[in-house]
Amino acid sequence: MKSLHVEGNGLFHRLPIRAKLLLLAALGIGLFLTRDPRLLALGPALGALVWFTLGLPLREALGRLRPVFLTIVIVAAFSFLVNSKEEALLQLLRLTTLMLFAATVTATTTVSAFIEEITALARPFEKLGLVKADDIGLAFGLVVRFVPEVLSRYEAIREAHKARGIKLRPLTLIAPLIILTLREADQIAAAIDARGLRRH
Amino acid sequence: MFRLLFYPATRYKRPELLRGQSVDIRFEAAGVDFGGRTVLEPLTLSLSQRRIGVIGLNGSGKSTFARLITGLLNPTRGAVALDGLDTVKDAGALSGRTGYIFQNPANQIIMPVVAEDMEFGLKGRGMDKAARAAAVSRTLESLGVSHLASRRAHELSGGELQLAALAAVLVTGPDTIILDEPTNQLDLKNRRVVEQTMAGLSQQLVVISHDLPLLDGFDRVLLFHEGRLAADAPPAEAIARYMEIASP
Amino acid sequence: MNTRDLVLVSLFAAIIVALGLLPPITLGFIPVPITAQSLGVMLAGTILGARRGTLSVALVILLVIIGLPVLSGGRGGLAVFAGPTVGFLIGWLPAAFVTGYLSERFAAGRANGFAQLANLFIAAVAGGVVVLYACGIVGMMLVAGLPFMKALSGSLAFVPGDLIKAGVAALAARAVQAGYPLLPVRS
Repeated sequence: MKSLHVEGNGLFHRLPIRAKLLLLAALGIGLFLTRDPRLLALGPALGALVWFTLGLPLREALGRLRPVFLTIVIVAAFSFLVNSKEEALLQLLRLTTLMLFAATVTATTTVSAFIEEITALARPFEKLGLVKADDIGLAFGLVVRFVPEVLSRYEAIREAHKARGIKLRPLTLIAPLIILTLREADQIAAAIDARGLRRH
Repeated sequence: MFRLLFYPATRYKRPELLRGQSVDIRFEAAGVDFGGRTVLEPLTLSLSQRRIGVIGLNGSGKSTFARLITGLLNPTRGAVALDGLDTVKDAGALSGRTGYIFQNPANQIIMPVVAEDMEFGLKGRGMDKAARAAAVSRTLESLGVSHLASRRAHELSGGELQLAALAAVLVTGPDTIILDEPTNQLDLKNRRVVEQTMAGLSQQLVVISHDLPLLDGFDRVLLFHEGRLAADAPPAEAIARYMEIASP
Repeated sequence: MNTRDLVLVSLFAAIIVALGLLPPITLGFIPVPITAQSLGVMLAGTILGARRGTLSVALVILLVIIGLPVLSGGRGGLAVFAGPTVGFLIGWLPAAFVTGYLSERFAAGRANGFAQLANLFIAAVAGGVVVLYACGIVGMMLVAGLPFMKALSGSLAFVPGDLIKAGVAALAARAVQAGYPLLPVRS
């Protein structure tokens, strides 16, 4: 699985992740403090300036935002019909701004920096006995490691259906897929313990 | 059962075994009962040889025996000790002393990329990032598989998986390595690669295998049958006894 | 949490991600595509139970946050949280929890009868439809400023599809329960 991080050395790339997340949170609150559309229009303009100068090819820069932008536009159009013109405009500007800056934070932060930050944020909860902070990195690794395995297993089950002339139904695909995947859990857990991966 | 028969008659030359320190594995009337059934009858023995084979039919207690050595399983009777350290009481001191290569190595590679997986095993051992990376590349090089470093685990072939799992175990520096059917499902070429790699290791190896020629030249072979140690002898003798047991 | 639970949670998160890679079905003019992924949320609760089910869903959401394209259609990253349908994503957490709690309470340890199937279906509907839609609708009201009735009517078109998914989840959960039981019993 490819992450959405983009190599680069701009301002956002150099900012520490915690600063970026705090800025993003502040932006999220700040955008709702004003109802002046002229002021809010600065948001998407600035956001677009930052986003489109990150070094992504234009096609990909647009492609990444498409699904989220589409729901923003559709819901704004819906809002335009049932609320007021003004409300719809404000919403469009705010959410587009947030989307652009959020996508920028994602693109300028490596996955390992995120994992380190989340692990650090989880540390205080360790004392409450809720999580082991180091387990988070391990869990992330396991998911990324096993998604391709699940997909190839899905392919194998599909082929087995075909070979036996059984019609493809979601149920007959999903139940064996889950059983076969979860059955590996015991062996994987034994391997984690044997390798002492949780003894930090 | 007798995969032995399918191997070509011409043998290739094996490299000389390297000499290294060996651990003293001691079983003191150690046995395992599970759910009212005896999986492994109490067993007393001392293993300090460098190459130890473990054979027997499916369900004979081989894996239970091997799991007792690493402390993956605690004996329900008696005790197991490595160099005098009890696998239950001194589990902390023993951690990292043994490594285990499981039957399906795909399940023991936890991180997406081979080098990441190896490095992950070194975290929390007081090494900084550079030292971890150096240890990883050194280990890969020593096995002659540096090209696997940035490969994704799910793209590896059977033989490559086995070597990647071995690398992940070796990088943590264990004295004893247990290999559970390391040549299972490998083609002839990969089997040879694994066999030669094993021969080049200086660590003490405990090898569970149905691939009997793999145990040629081993110091000692243990045969398990119905949860009991049925033979403890040099390879030829133990295998001969195994043939008797396995005849239908 | 023991290692096995940690692995089960992670493997299930991998299953949810994989389900999202199957192509989603979009219904007309409505912003939420129907995906096998929300089926995964119902499955997490009905198969793993409340605690582990919620954790595996939380793991997927964390993967979205750190910028991996794990949502259906390859979506991911913080931008997803700027969308007006964000409530349908955050809502996965209480949805998986409620589904899991009800499954443990009323469907675990029962014989493979019709009652078990019915209870699993009710658990999947209560969490994966009622709770999830409540979160999604509140989200649309807060983020997009839609009035309640409008947000509700805009979402209703998806209910039939999700009821079908709840049925699939209940059948699959029962099959898994028979083949590899994991659901803790809660009395």
